[in-house]
Amino acid sequence: MAQAPGREPTTGAPVIEVRGITKRYGELTALDGVSFSVQPGEIFGILGPNGAGKTTLVEILEGLTKPTAGDASVLGNDIRTATDEVKKRVGVQLQASSYHQYLTLREILELFGSFYPHSADANELLQRVHLADRAESRIKQLSGGMQQRFSIVAALVNQPDLVFFDEPTAGLDPDARRDLWDIVRSVREEGATVVLTTHYMEEAEALCDRVMMMDRGKIAALDTPPGLVRSLHAPYRVRMTTLGQLDPARVAALPGTSEVHGFAEGNLDVLELRAEKAPPTLGALTRLAEDAGAEVVDLAVLPATLEDVFLSVTGRGLSG
Amino acid sequence: MRALFGASLKMVVRDRQALFWALIFPIIFLGVFRLFSFDSFGTTDVLVSLDNPSSPQQQALLGALQSAEFLEVTVSDAPLDRTGAQAEIDDDNVNAVLLVTADGARIDAELIHGISDPIGSSATEAGIASLVDSVNLELMGGNPPIQFATERIDSAENTTFFEFLGPGIIGMGLMNFATISLAGSLSRYREEGVLRRIRATPLEPWKFFASVVLAHMTVAAMQVVVISVVAQLLGANVFRGGPPFFILAVLGTVVFLNLGVIVAGLVHGRGAVEGAANAITLPMMFLSGTFFPTGSLPDVVRAAVQVLPLTHLLTAMRAFVDGDSVVSQWPHLLVLAAWIAGTFVVARFTFSLEDS
Repeated sequence: MAQAPGREPTTGAPVIEVRGITKRYGELTALDGVSFSVQPGEIFGILGPNGAGKTTLVEILEGLTKPTAGDASVLGNDIRTATDEVKKRVGVQLQASSYHQYLTLREILELFGSFYPHSADANELLQRVHLADRAESRIKQLSGGMQQRFSIVAALVNQPDLVFFDEPTAGLDPDARRDLWDIVRSVREEGATVVLTTHYMEEAEALCDRVMMMDRGKIAALDTPPGLVRSLHAPYRVRMTTLGQLDPARVAALPGTSEVHGFAEGNLDVLELRAEKAPPTLGALTRLAEDAGAEVVDLAVLPATLEDVFLSVTGRGLSG
Repeated sequence: MRALFGASLKMVVRDRQALFWALIFPIIFLGVFRLFSFDSFGTTDVLVSLDNPSSPQQQALLGALQSAEFLEVTVSDAPLDRTGAQAEIDDDNVNAVLLVTADGARIDAELIHGISDPIGSSATEAGIASLVDSVNLELMGGNPPIQFATERIDSAENTTFFEFLGPGIIGMGLMNFATISLAGSLSRYREEGVLRRIRATPLEPWKFFASVVLAHMTVAAMQVVVISVVAQLLGANVFRGGPPFFILAVLGTVVFLNLGVIVAGLVHGRGAVEGAANAITLPMMFLSGTFFPTGSLPDVVRAAVQVLPLTHLLTAMRAFVDGDSVVSQWPHLLVLAAWIAGTFVVARFTFSLEDS
């Protein structure tokens, strides 16, 4: 893959190495002994509800905040001592951060470019996120989706080796979100490593090579999205619709089933449950229906989602 | 650093609200005060009614009245009586009416005027009385042993009200702009996350801060020039102050920039910042002799006013316009220097770029 000018080839050593990072704000412990590493070329997702410590963690890695304890290296630089070097090679998109309201998009990119030893051309950057025709507009004249696209491309102004996106799609409609996902993927395709925080599980699922789940300042789980789902005790969701009722107690008594609940939908009866293994559970369910003289109208098996994983590792939902 | 300064300058210049405080507001003040033309205070419009204009005595009296500087004389077309005179005053056509009537050989001159301006009225009375005396003497062919003369010296010390106002408006404009606009910009950068975003780059934060302050100083310097030119064109002779006037104006701005930084450091929330900045500049604008000499203030207030930086800035600026030397203004310059140093130290400890 062609390297952009000024980008040093990564050598296979971790891009980020975090060892026991703790951050306290007075009584509040925002991060509690977090350790992990990020490999070159990954899209690494940090997933968790608001207040889980995602933003604090990212700000420490960006050199904006100092950890209370523990250490970390970013692109081989100690984040405590070589903050400047880190800042030169890292691209940053901050949550809820805006840009100068009296400058045009082009002027902002040129201004930020002037802070770095080498920088990308403002026009090319704007073209990348389909904002070339808005080069002379000001931030406030852009839609929410355009503003997010701009804040992403502003993170690329220094041709970074590592880019942090903090909740890049927060508050966007699904179309605009998918647009941004394509941009994030293109950043990785050009050779940069991407770290993004999100509290949308479908975003983490669609975009990330690996996902780290955080809850109350700690790592709750860390794996690839399929790996996280497989790690669940009951990784399948089963939904059976019948004409004629089954006894939920008998379903719950089947081996490898859990979270069984039944309800009526018009003249039909619906059973939802989690299953450790799909085929045996499906077989057992069909037999139960036959015994009860109920007609199976529909039977569906879905893999569990990251939401289920989060629920199972933290006991709470993501939106909480 | 040049790109940063250029961008900061653009941001100040494109901020319409800041520009309003910097330029439009002071220029409006200059224009409004010029329209009032306070300098015509001290002359009285007097309508003279002569019942026999061709008589040499009445002619002599009219001539004396017309040559008096403190009177603006118009002659009534037809002789008036008291009722007519009253009507002229009630209609605000004139300040006073002098009814001159011949009664045989004697001539009566009666001055009729309102009571709305007692000081002006007594001055007019006294002035006309002495005019009548001198005309009497002249008509009697007398040679008065005492010749009284006054001369008003037109020197640099003797400035008109508008000349007094010019430096005041410039100082006011500088203060409003420097404090309100800088406090507003800094709090905006902090609240919109611009400061945080800047801190995520290798740029040292103090450079960003310096560029914002420097941009404001540059605009302040342009502001001094623009308002001075307008003031000069309108008749306040501020150019007489020369380089010391302009240099002091720009240096004095540093106090108000520091105050802006302090406000942005202590107060959070944009509306609150603007309110606090106004709460500092508004009283200072009225108490520091922007529009009227501080001598007219009550003693207690005047003592407090002697502490304010704008008072000293304006006093020294006016002294330079009056042609005084830089050295002669050392007490005021010293107070200003103390203000610059003091506010700098406070600003240093109250405002942090690390805020988020």
